[in-house]
Amino acid sequence: MSEPATIQASASLWQPRSAWGGAPRAGRHGAPGQAGIRLTLLEGRGLATLVATEGNEAGLQTVLAERFGLSAPEAGGAAFEGERGLVWSAPGQWLAVAPSPHALRDLPEALRGLAAVTDQSDGRALVRVSGPQARALLAKGVAVDLHPRAFGPGRAAVTSIAHIGVQLWQRDAGPSYDIAVARSFAGSFWAWLEHAAAEFGYEVATVQG
Amino acid sequence: MTTLALQRAEAPVSATSADQPFRTAAGGLIDRNRPRDFTFDGRRLTGCHGDTLASALLANGVRLVGRSFKYHRPRGILSAGSEEPNALVELRSGARREPNTRATMAELYEGLEATSQNRWPTLAVDALSVNALLSPVFAAGFYYKTFMWPAAFWEKLYEPMIRRAAGLGRAADAPDPDIYDHAYAHCDVLVIGGGPAGLSAALAAGRSGARVILVDEDFATGGRLLAERREIGGASGADWAARALAELESLPEVRILSRTTLFGVYDHGAYGAVERVSDHLAVPAAHAPRQRLWRIVAKRAVLAAGAIERPHVFGGNDRPGVMLAGAVRTYLNRYGVLPGRRLAVFTSSDDGWRTAADVLAAGGELAAVIDTRPSVPPALRRMAEAAGARVVTGGYVAGTKGHLGLSAIQVVDGYHSVETIACDGLAMANGWNPVVHLDSHLSRRPVWDEAIHAFVPGTLPSGMQAVGAAAGRFTLAECLESGARAGAEAATACGFTATTEATPQTDPESLDHTPLWRVPKPLGKAFVDFQNDVAASDVELAHREGFRAVELLKRYTTLGMATDQGKTSNLAGLSIMAELTGKDIPSVGTTVFRPPFTPVAIGAFAGHHRGKDFRATRHVPSHAWAEENGCVFVETGLWLRPAYFPRAGETDWLDTVVREVETVRARVGVCDVTTLGKIDIQGRDALAFIERVCANPFGTLPVGKARYAVLLREDGLILDDGTIARMGETHYVMTASTANAAKVMQHLEFCRQWLWLELDVQLASVSEQWAQYAVAGPRARDTLRRIVDPGFDISNDAFPFLACADVTVGGGIPARLFRISFSGELAYELAVPAAYGDAAWRAIMQAGLPYGITAYGSEALSVMRIEKGHAAGAEINGQTTARDLGLGGMLAKKKDYIGRLMKERPAFTDPDRPVLAGFRPVDPSARLRAGAHFLARDAAPSLEADEGVMTSVAYSPSLRTWIGIGLIRRGPERHGERVRAYDPVRGADIEVEICSPVFVDPKEEKLRV
Amino acid sequence: MRIRCPFCGERDNGEFSYLGDAAPRRPDGLEASAQAMHDYVYLRDNPAGTIRELWYHAAGCRSWLVVTRDTRTHAIESVEPARDVARARRSGEAA
Repeated sequence: MSEPATIQASASLWQPRSAWGGAPRAGRHGAPGQAGIRLTLLEGRGLATLVATEGNEAGLQTVLAERFGLSAPEAGGAAFEGERGLVWSAPGQWLAVAPSPHALRDLPEALRGLAAVTDQSDGRALVRVSGPQARALLAKGVAVDLHPRAFGPGRAAVTSIAHIGVQLWQRDAGPSYDIAVARSFAGSFWAWLEHAAAEFGYEVATVQG
Repeated sequence: MTTLALQRAEAPVSATSADQPFRTAAGGLIDRNRPRDFTFDGRRLTGCHGDTLASALLANGVRLVGRSFKYHRPRGILSAGSEEPNALVELRSGARREPNTRATMAELYEGLEATSQNRWPTLAVDALSVNALLSPVFAAGFYYKTFMWPAAFWEKLYEPMIRRAAGLGRAADAPDPDIYDHAYAHCDVLVIGGGPAGLSAALAAGRSGARVILVDEDFATGGRLLAERREIGGASGADWAARALAELESLPEVRILSRTTLFGVYDHGAYGAVERVSDHLAVPAAHAPRQRLWRIVAKRAVLAAGAIERPHVFGGNDRPGVMLAGAVRTYLNRYGVLPGRRLAVFTSSDDGWRTAADVLAAGGELAAVIDTRPSVPPALRRMAEAAGARVVTGGYVAGTKGHLGLSAIQVVDGYHSVETIACDGLAMANGWNPVVHLDSHLSRRPVWDEAIHAFVPGTLPSGMQAVGAAAGRFTLAECLESGARAGAEAATACGFTATTEATPQTDPESLDHTPLWRVPKPLGKAFVDFQNDVAASDVELAHREGFRAVELLKRYTTLGMATDQGKTSNLAGLSIMAELTGKDIPSVGTTVFRPPFTPVAIGAFAGHHRGKDFRATRHVPSHAWAEENGCVFVETGLWLRPAYFPRAGETDWLDTVVREVETVRARVGVCDVTTLGKIDIQGRDALAFIERVCANPFGTLPVGKARYAVLLREDGLILDDGTIARMGETHYVMTASTANAAKVMQHLEFCRQWLWLELDVQLASVSEQWAQYAVAGPRARDTLRRIVDPGFDISNDAFPFLACADVTVGGGIPARLFRISFSGELAYELAVPAAYGDAAWRAIMQAGLPYGITAYGSEALSVMRIEKGHAAGAEINGQTTARDLGLGGMLAKKKDYIGRLMKERPAFTDPDRPVLAGFRPVDPSARLRAGAHFLARDAAPSLEADEGVMTSVAYSPSLRTWIGIGLIRRGPERHGERVRAYDPVRGADIEVEICSPVFVDPKEEKLRV
Repeated sequence: MRIRCPFCGERDNGEFSYLGDAAPRRPDGLEASAQAMHDYVYLRDNPAGTIRELWYHAAGCRSWLVVTRDTRTHAIESVEPARDVARARRSGEAA
């Protein structure tokens, strides 16, 4: 992984663009009344894939715990401390999530030999779905059972919504869910989200890191 | 013989509803205080809240509702449910017009518009009803026999004629304005059906705390309890159902989906259902869907779908006014409608006598009860006779009379004398068939139950249990008991503690029943399948002509092939065939049913995925700039790629593409190539892994260098090509073509996880992380010098052709730079983090301004790669080997790799095999077409003479002529030879000269400066 | 159809892509014969009954899986990570 260097770009030309592009409009949309859905765009997060090298998962766990205070969860899990965490992606693979790419800069070196670390901070668009109808909304697209008896905070799934690949994990019992979708699909995914949320009434907001 | 003509213009039954002359004075589950105005064929009518369109029409004395499919016979309302074959109407108008809607399922709403179908000019006078007179001609197999010759008549005469006459109803001719939705649901116990058995099952399962979904196609829950005068535990059945529903609604883990049809049963506990969310409204509420398609996954299912009553097969049994006896009770008891002034009952069971009793209880006139059985319980006979009804036992209804509706029945008694009895309604009770459709969706055949003379579910899909009438347990007590038991068992199987309470007391009932499959001597056409106009005589014809197997009978006569899937007709057809062949019914067998149980609108299946959302669209990082600059895009798979960027004054796409190519060749251009797949390959054994998946060698590739890579399939054909760049000692980046990105990743995972798990290799797709731009042309380096941060030497010496490196841009933004070229020019690909993709593109455009930079799209890219003879998707098409494309020489000799052995098969090494060559027209102004086949100049076109195919063509701005590349036998040996590019599809036959596929800079001098 | 991915749990078959019979073993190495490779690429049993076949959890964890399925009923007996099956085969051969 190339070092996520500190960006000193001052030239106004070099401004990052949100993975959501121009699709989301902040504010209140859809059916009137109390908004059933809150969509929070999570901007500026740091993301990286960790792929464990063969036979080194124990060592990987130790370094993650000692150096970063993180634990790599088992299949279908997501382990978070605040906004930092690891989300299971595949056998021996996790998505590291942090408030900024900067917060992940030490990972590649610290995990050398234990895991291949690949920056994905720009490759995904992130949205937090919450509100009283969050589960009903996701049921329109997620084929995975999100009922509290089957899913809950700390659980994660790699699946698809409206034929678009997603990785999702539940953050709290509110419930609120974070969804990561490939950047190039962000516009189409947002169109589905608006279609699905309209009947509940929804509001859109953005948070940085 | 006595005849009693019946006039229908009598005094209204209810004085309080003069506008609904057939509405009873009181009773029913409709709300008489909420009138609902609607129109039928433009006629303004009024019904009540709680009506269906069918009950409202009957309340208004409308019996004639449509014309039949083939003979255009007048048809009315047969049933009161989803099995309805006759009363199909167009609902709504304009963009919301919906054909073939069953009036028995359409919930009445204020302003409902309904139109009858399949009639011209009007319902009462239908020109095509002449078909009925020709019915001997239109019998089964008519089309097969008649339209066979002369063959020339097919296109001009037969087909247009059949098309005009075929079909029912008219689809809307404007896009549907409504929203359709999808949803997934998961549960422990799925209960299908909201009648007494289903409610009992849902209660038993729901009380245990299990997650329960109750699906009911009706808008009011209770099933037959709403239609019968029955008692449960001293309360009316309808009250019991209401209480059960209230309790279910109070249970947090129970979801009730009413107005929802469970239409399909799929493997491993998956079910499909469609919820008519807003069909009962004129227009859905803002943002609300019209319908919602549910995909339900259940650990256990209780099938409580009930039963469908069987009609009798007798002459004129399709005349409006002839109805199923249970439906008559539904209209009487649930809707407060008398389906006629003077009703007769034709029964083969005690059940039919309940209809007689209900007619009397509702204040109707009972004309007669004709029971096919020789003797009936004396109490029943007394009840009818006391009301002045004629009672015939051991007889049958042979025929009917009436113009556009029933006015009399012709009854044959035990002594074979015919008696005509005036009546305007006839209720048929010939027993019930359990709904075996859903449990046979997984190819499981129902089995015959002689005790109830009906098919019942056979081996059920795993986890499913049938209860109540759906299992052939018809009494109310059995429904309640079997439902509760199955609900409890299902919940227990899911790990819950369920108890069953004592079954509540129900009033007694008798099910004595001896079916009469068809009357011995019908007077007139006796229909079996109403919707497809199949008569008993058609089944006889099929028998005579040898179409006796049940699947042949079905296809020859179209029995059961209408949209109702033969819900009211299948058994009658089978029983007649059984009688004709001298077999019993189970030996004749039965066809199995397929989803959907009832028709489902395409819109419900499409959901959100229509119009621009038909499928997902992927955008490239430079999309915003491209849009701002008037780019024309092209769909490439899911990607929307910039195709070309027209400028003012350019009138034709070719003008633009020529300008873009010329600018790149003379100055500099930039193209978004982000759509390529990009895979990071890391790990101790990364090189060994690459060596095994690539056909060309990589052992000598140093850090900081990239190389063209070709991947074969194991069968020896090319899988894909791309580049592999060595970014570090054990870190490589592979690119895959846009179309194959996912396929290549899947292939690499297969190799890693299945073939060679001993290799330590880690794969990560970085396709989305990096925006990647090709900067090409003589001034590419000058342009990039202003982009790449100072401190990185990108001079030709420091960064030669095929170099690669991690660099930074824009003052510290990490980037990857590759000196690779698809265009044949001095070229680079610059990868930047995708968030900076937009910025980097704008920066490059600005940096290149002094050099006259142009943005170029996939069209110019394609022109330049054809000019260079580079293979792309049209050549790497799953049929070509590396040798075919002139890449044979680069393949490794000393390593094992995927496809190594199979590429050596004789057919792949045949010297006559078509291989890559270039082509230019002999007449420089001629336009070439991809897809043209190559023929010797004097050869007549034939498969044998075919020498190959033109795969890609372009107008070459560099050569000022059209050029092509393609695959032709022994191509490289034949440079200079002339052949024909023959294209009969587009009427072209052009002489071309075979040449090298590299049209521009064959010595590759431009690449390396 | 539903397939229980050993990592992700039960998912709809739309998330998976199918490859086919898991029985053939690739004849690796430069010594492999063309005949052996031909058999590996093309020869397949087509049983009416139990078959072990390779599926890929494309829309999920991208694991290759070996699914043991009855072709007559679609009943799935087991789903195992392909990696484990391959490893077991190797240790079986070594033993």
